[in-house]
Order: sequence, then structure tokens, then C-alpha cells
Amino acid sequence: MSTQIDLSVKEQKNCSSIFKAIGNPQVDLGILLELGSIGAGHAATSLSDILQQPITIDVPKIHQIKPHLIPQFYNLHDVPTTAIYLQLKEAFGCDILLMFESTEAKKIAAMMTMASSIEEVDPAMETSALQELANILIGSFLTSISDFIGLGLFPTTPETVVDVFDAIIDNFLIKQSMSSENALIFETRFMRSGEDAKSILMLFPSEELKGLLVKKSKSLIEE
Amino acid sequence: MLLLLPAGIVFKKAWFNIPQRVLAYQQLEPNITINIDTYPQVEEVRVDMAEMKVERRPVELLTSVGSCIAICVYDSIHRCGGLAHIMLPHSSLGPQEPLPSKFADTAVPALMNGIREITRAETRLSAKIAGGANMFPNTGANGLDIGAKNIRAVRASLIQHKIRLIGEDVGGSHGRRITFNVALGTTIVRLHTGETKKL
Repeated sequence: MSTQIDLSVKEQKNCSSIFKAIGNPQVDLGILLELGSIGAGHAATSLSDILQQPITIDVPKIHQIKPHLIPQFYNLHDVPTTAIYLQLKEAFGCDILLMFESTEAKKIAAMMTMASSIEEVDPAMETSALQELANILIGSFLTSISDFIGLGLFPTTPETVVDVFDAIIDNFLIKQSMSSENALIFETRFMRSGEDAKSILMLFPSEELKGLLVKKSKSLIEE
Repeated sequence: MLLLLPAGIVFKKAWFNIPQRVLAYQQLEPNITINIDTYPQVEEVRVDMAEMKVERRPVELLTSVGSCIAICVYDSIHRCGGLAHIMLPHSSLGPQEPLPSKFADTAVPALMNGIREITRAETRLSAKIAGGANMFPNTGANGLDIGAKNIRAVRASLIQHKIRLIGEDVGGSHGRRITFNVALGTTIVRLHTGETKKL
């Protein structure tokens, strides 16, 4: 149903095989995954710094999948979700979603605001804390990629939505389904130490941004 | 499990064969409404994005939408109906795919055909729609306003195919969980806040 690229596959390729395979779509995805992994590592460190807690990070993945199949793929249909949405500034075309299960979002907001329980955090404070978290986490993610490839990637101001998973994500899937047959999603998941709930960072890069990132990375490899 | 009806009558589920018994009871006692929340569990069938299901079994079709539209088309004479989860207003907007339920202009005739295949008769159909929200109103995520376009396209398609629109809950900036009870023809819209509307 979907194509997943993971780091283990990429690591088996030596440099010469990468050069031979330039122009191969799988290698392009491998390059994107490598860039994303750099960003995800930095983002996890930022999250750990903010929350003063160890953070577990899943191996980042890239999914290439028909947009309408994504809700089935995640199987989180009616799970209450808090999502923070940002875009890349300029004409790079990339939607970024940072999603938490709603209870986990409240717990994180309580930790950030030094509240003793989740009931103490009012909704406005929760929204503000989570947007700040998203700014730092996604900022860190983008800065590390920017530094690596020498391209300025800056996010817009965040917007928070609380709803069920399927309702939040469908807007982005509609956009993806209008432009291509398969959606390209970069995904990584974070988990606080001792907790089951995973936070999902999801990026929907446009074809233009994908092409630009791959081109910049290839020029770095060739240098 | 016991089912409590507003009239104070208690049925044991073991011999309470739903939904035929419920329907028979409603016909006998039209002034008594059955509380949907206490209605016994029926099989739930999820309709995923860009999917369509037509049923004559007494099941509940359910789906969750944001900017997409859920359309429930019902044949009250044969007590059957279908639900489609529409993503886009027009089939020219996406890559060519054999998925009629994905687009407003093709989903409505596909539902009509699906119902006709079951009933083998030309009957009057009615429709209810829900969804078409703008989930990110402040940033206008993507600037497409696809929810509003979906609403307009579905209404136009219903008019074109002469199907009465008898209920709708559209727009806004919140998602909706829609359950369509095929036996009763009822459509319930539930928001993530727990608020419930019957269409």
C-alpha cells in the first residue's frame, strides 16, 4: 500500500553506488530522508531541552502513498488530536503538522507552564505553550536542514486546531490529491520517557521543494 | 443489556430483534421517539476517504470529515441507502482514477446506481450532507477553501440528479463524525466536543 524508506536501506549503499544512482527516485527519497533525519535529531534534542526529559525518537520514514489511503494507514480516525500547523515561507510549498493526542498535549502544556495538573492549564495557555513548543521544535528541525544545504527555510506563524485525526488531516490530503497521484510525507514520531503517547511530526513537501532539496544535496555530495 | 424506551417499556435484548422491532414499534406508536443514545449496538461499517458504501442490511455507516463532505442518500421505501466520503468538487481536479466516490460530480450518480442495483426500482431518493469545514480559518491553510467548493458542488450535483436535500450541517471550522443508520434513515452528526445533531 505504501512505500517506506528507512535508514538501514540507505546505509547499505556506498558512495559510488549513490553517484551511479543519481536521478533514481528511490535515491532522491533517500536523500530527503537523510535530510529529515538530521532535522528530526535536532528537533528531538530541542524537545528534550524544553521538557527536561529524555525523548525517544522513532526512525524517520518517508511514505509515498495515495492520499485517500492515509487515514486507513494511520488508523487514528476518531482519536482526539491537537495539531499545530505551519507552512514554509516564500514559495517553497511545504505544509508542516505537529500532532499530539489531546491528553498528551495537555500534559506537555502542564509541564511547560509548571502546572501541577492538566486541569490547572487553561485552553488559551495550552494553545500558547504548544505553539511555542512547535516554533522551537520545527525551527530547530528547519535550521539544521538550512545549515546543512545552505538554503533559508523559515516557518510561518503557527495555528492550533483541536479535533479528531481524520478531520485535521483531510485538508492536506485534498491538496496532495490535487497535485499528484501519490502523497509524499516525511514523518517522525517522538515519545516522552515512560509515556505511550507518540507525537507525530509530519511534513508534506511540494514537488518543487523536493526537487530543490535533492538538487542542493546532490551538489554537496558532488563537491 | 436492557433497552429503556421513553415510554418506560423495557425490552430484553435477547428477544428484541432490532431494527425490525424498533421500526414496528415506531409504526405502532408514532408519538414515541426512540432515544438514539440508548439504541442497541448495531454493526458499524466505516466508510474511508474517497470510499462509498451502499447497504440494505441494518447497519450504521460512519465516517469522519473535515473539509470533505459526507453524503447520505436514502431510499425510504426500500429502507436502504449509501454513504460517500467526497474529497473534491470535480473529477477534473485530480488524477484520473476509477474512484467515483472521490468527487462530488461522480459520487451522486454512483450512489444512485448502487441503490438501484439493490432495489431494482426507480424510487424517490433523499439526501443529507455534512462537512465542508475550513479547519484552519486563521491561516486559511492552503488558501483553497476547498470545503466551501465541495458544499457548492454537492448541492449542484443533487439538483442535477433531482435528489431532495432534506438535511445538512456544513461549513464552520470543526470536524464531524457522521453515522447513518440505514434501517432508520437517521443521520447523526457528532462533533469532537461531544455535541450531537440529528439531521
